[in-house]
Amino acid sequence: MEPLAVQEPLLARIAAGDRAAMRECLTRYSGLVWSIARRFELGDAEDAVQEIFLDLWKSAARYDGNVASESVFIAMIARRRLIDRRRMRGRRPVTESIADEPQVAAAGSSPEASAEASQAARALDRLKPDQRRVLVLSACHGMSHGEIAEATGLPLGTVKAHVRRGLISIRVALLGVQEEPA
Amino acid sequence: MKTHVMLHPRAEELLVERALRPLSDAEQAELASLGIDADADDSFDVAAAAVMVATTRIEPMPADMFDRLAERTGAVASQPPAPTTPAPVIPIDRARKGRRVSAAWVAAAAAAGIVLATGAGMYLRRDGATPTATPAEARADLLGGGTRALAWTATADATAKGATGDVVWSDAKQRGYMRFVGLAANDPKAWQYQLWIFDRTRDQAFPVDGGVFDVSSTGEVIVPITAKLHVDQATLFAVTVERPGGVVVSKRERIVVTAKPS
Repeated sequence: MEPLAVQEPLLARIAAGDRAAMRECLTRYSGLVWSIARRFELGDAEDAVQEIFLDLWKSAARYDGNVASESVFIAMIARRRLIDRRRMRGRRPVTESIADEPQVAAAGSSPEASAEASQAARALDRLKPDQRRVLVLSACHGMSHGEIAEATGLPLGTVKAHVRRGLISIRVALLGVQEEPA
Repeated sequence: MKTHVMLHPRAEELLVERALRPLSDAEQAELASLGIDADADDSFDVAAAAVMVATTRIEPMPADMFDRLAERTGAVASQPPAPTTPAPVIPIDRARKGRRVSAAWVAAAAAAGIVLATGAGMYLRRDGATPTATPAEARADLLGGGTRALAWTATADATAKGATGDVVWSDAKQRGYMRFVGLAANDPKAWQYQLWIFDRTRDQAFPVDGGVFDVSSTGEVIVPITAKLHVDQATLFAVTVERPGGVVVSKRERIVVTAKPS
């Protein structure tokens, strides 16, 4: 992965209703969101991307630069929307687009870039291959435990354990604390 | 956000699940009964998102789609998006045009350890790569530094008929480039090529994803390698045909070319 460079934070400006910042945010992160959506969506990734950015405008005020970089925050918003779309699609095949105006509010921000992504990559590298594969299928492709068990041939209990221990390991690495023995 | 460092095992299990799917009402109530305000602790979601960013190969959004997106989200764009990564494939002829420093010049200078400065501000870093180098120039730079080119061996797959080229990869620099001549062009909406790097230090059942790429011309193209994980000792390179966006684990149903150090 090419790391995203450290750049001026945008989400606080977006939360304050700055349309130029929205344009800049699209320019800076549309590739990331588009690429994430394509990993989740077999169908209409463009529609998903639109929903994600509309969600982002509304969620920008919740961004806390002490918790995550903008790229990871945006990826978090994207994942939630994509997971929700997948769940909704189970009941209703046609999704609806959102057309709300962005919420205007004040928020803090941080110029930090995606240092967590680099930390996560290193933590992923330390996982066992099966554990890493299962975690990526779950976190990045939105596959259920059952789907992963079917695709990999691993027992369902093993899949659950791999996902749990894997995500805990990544979280521990990001928090910078010692992991407790399993 | 309130991050709980020490968690009850069941609370931890529920927070992991919450990062992967919506919790049921009963699960949310159980989490609350364990003293966890789930809405105040996003740390597992952040971890999952960091994994996503760490493992996603960023491709620029198509320009026409970007314009529609800007309009529909209330952010009318004044200019198309700037790619966050270099274009995955650049035909050599186009890449060479207009460059101030030729590939041969860069390679020769790198081999001699010369630091260049041009009127355009282009210069060589200590690792020999130019910050604005094209894939062709960067490949030449790696070759100039002593990295060997491994010739592709084409399989019987229809896409590889008559295909030649090589792969240049440096374990030390974690950089590399694939060169193809005659590889079939693909329709990115239908299927894409994906590179796999086998690492001697890893389980051979799970090669490292070297990136998804497209070929738009049967002429000579150079493709940067974007390994998703660190490769300690590459022992085999293989290109497969996969669905758009690539896969996490290839079924290896269509292997196109391979390259192996002798």
